[in-house]
Amino acid sequence: MLALKERNNQAFGFLYDNYAGALYSIIKQIITDNSELASDVLQEVFINIWRKIETYDQTKGRLFTWMLNIARNASIDTLRSKSYQNSQKNQELPDNVYKGVANQTTQQNVDNIGLKKVLETLKPEHRILVELAYFKGFTHEEIAEMMSIPLGTVKTRIRNALLQLREYLK
Amino acid sequence: MNVKDYIESGIIESYVMGLASEPERAEFERYCAQYPELVAARRKFEEKLEAYAAENAVPPPPEVKVKVLEAVGQETRAASSSIPPKIINMENAKTPVRQSGMLRFVAAASVLLLIGLGYLYYQAREDNKELTAAKDRLSVSLDTTRNILNRIVEEQKVVSDPNTMVVNMVGTTVAPKSSANIYWDSTSTNVYLIVKNMPKLPSDQQYQLWALIDNKQPPKDLGVFDATDDKVILKMKNTQKAQAFAITIEKKGGSPSPTLQKMQSLGKSLQSQ
Repeated sequence: MLALKERNNQAFGFLYDNYAGALYSIIKQIITDNSELASDVLQEVFINIWRKIETYDQTKGRLFTWMLNIARNASIDTLRSKSYQNSQKNQELPDNVYKGVANQTTQQNVDNIGLKKVLETLKPEHRILVELAYFKGFTHEEIAEMMSIPLGTVKTRIRNALLQLREYLK
Repeated sequence: MNVKDYIESGIIESYVMGLASEPERAEFERYCAQYPELVAARRKFEEKLEAYAAENAVPPPPEVKVKVLEAVGQETRAASSSIPPKIINMENAKTPVRQSGMLRFVAAASVLLLIGLGYLYYQAREDNKELTAAKDRLSVSLDTTRNILNRIVEEQKVVSDPNTMVVNMVGTTVAPKSSANIYWDSTSTNVYLIVKNMPKLPSDQQYQLWALIDNKQPPKDLGVFDATDDKVILKMKNTQKAQAFAITIEKKGGSPSPTLQKMQSLGKSLQSQ
């Protein structure tokens, strides 16, 4: 860890070899339709990890957790970027954005990898919420609005889903 | 607080996976500092999550590693050459999506601003070039005008001076139409000439003015001029004495003695009387 914070390139290569696959997996679970874009994001994520390594605080969690969140955030940023949205424009009418997301979510069970596999074990109404919150990056408030469910219900359902996830990982 | 209930609320998973709200995160971190069992439970979930992610890893294309190490290597070199590396401090989970989006917006705005400034600079430079050229043109035109004015003023001074004698040169039989005026100031001995009408000469020939003093002395050279110097007062060489002035055609640059058979014009001064 010290070697990393001192920006030791060899230690960084080691870090890459150990975690690139796991992070690439989460990126691909968020950017599902474009492998090339996903590997661009992976590249950006590792460069960011290297730049920000000094801000990592061990008391707040494990290094992998920190990197996983960087990868997730970068992927969601890309998903929401203008250029990506434009490439998707023809697929959904603006009015149907939310419905479209929800449909996509329920239909995307075929080639699920990683955490998405876990989602399949959840009840559909829980699955959609986790999908929207974790893989699409919507806030609980946004989800409550788009699904027309009270905010409290959204929170409870997501918490319950996450507890199920914990059980599954045991 | 009942720590067990808190652990069972799903807050740990929510926090670790980046789904907790900012107040929830702050509260969780505060409790973590107080309750070691909470930290232990968090650690347990993190380890499970990490193990699961490792199991489900997808090997990325090999070129990504090459590109990453290249970029990192470049930054290391840049950093070692004195300037400390720029660290963009973004706490990993504090509304990270928004923050990173803001960063992109700022970056995009900076690029636009840079392009805008570049364009303005280019414009200003072009304007400046144009103004400089216009200034040069005006300055040349001013010089020309000033020269003309100076000549006119000088001509006026000579012509109106009471000491100046005007000698009207008339054409000879060789060149009946040739005419010019000599202005001769006998006090200062200055001689001026104004071409009124002299035929144009081949480029290897020039007109030459002579002062005819008396029969014992050869004619004195007063300088050469061209037919094109018309409407302008020409300062010729000085002479104290002259009974008459004569203009001949000589080779370019003048001759030491006049070719009198080619005399174009002759005028007698008052001294001859």
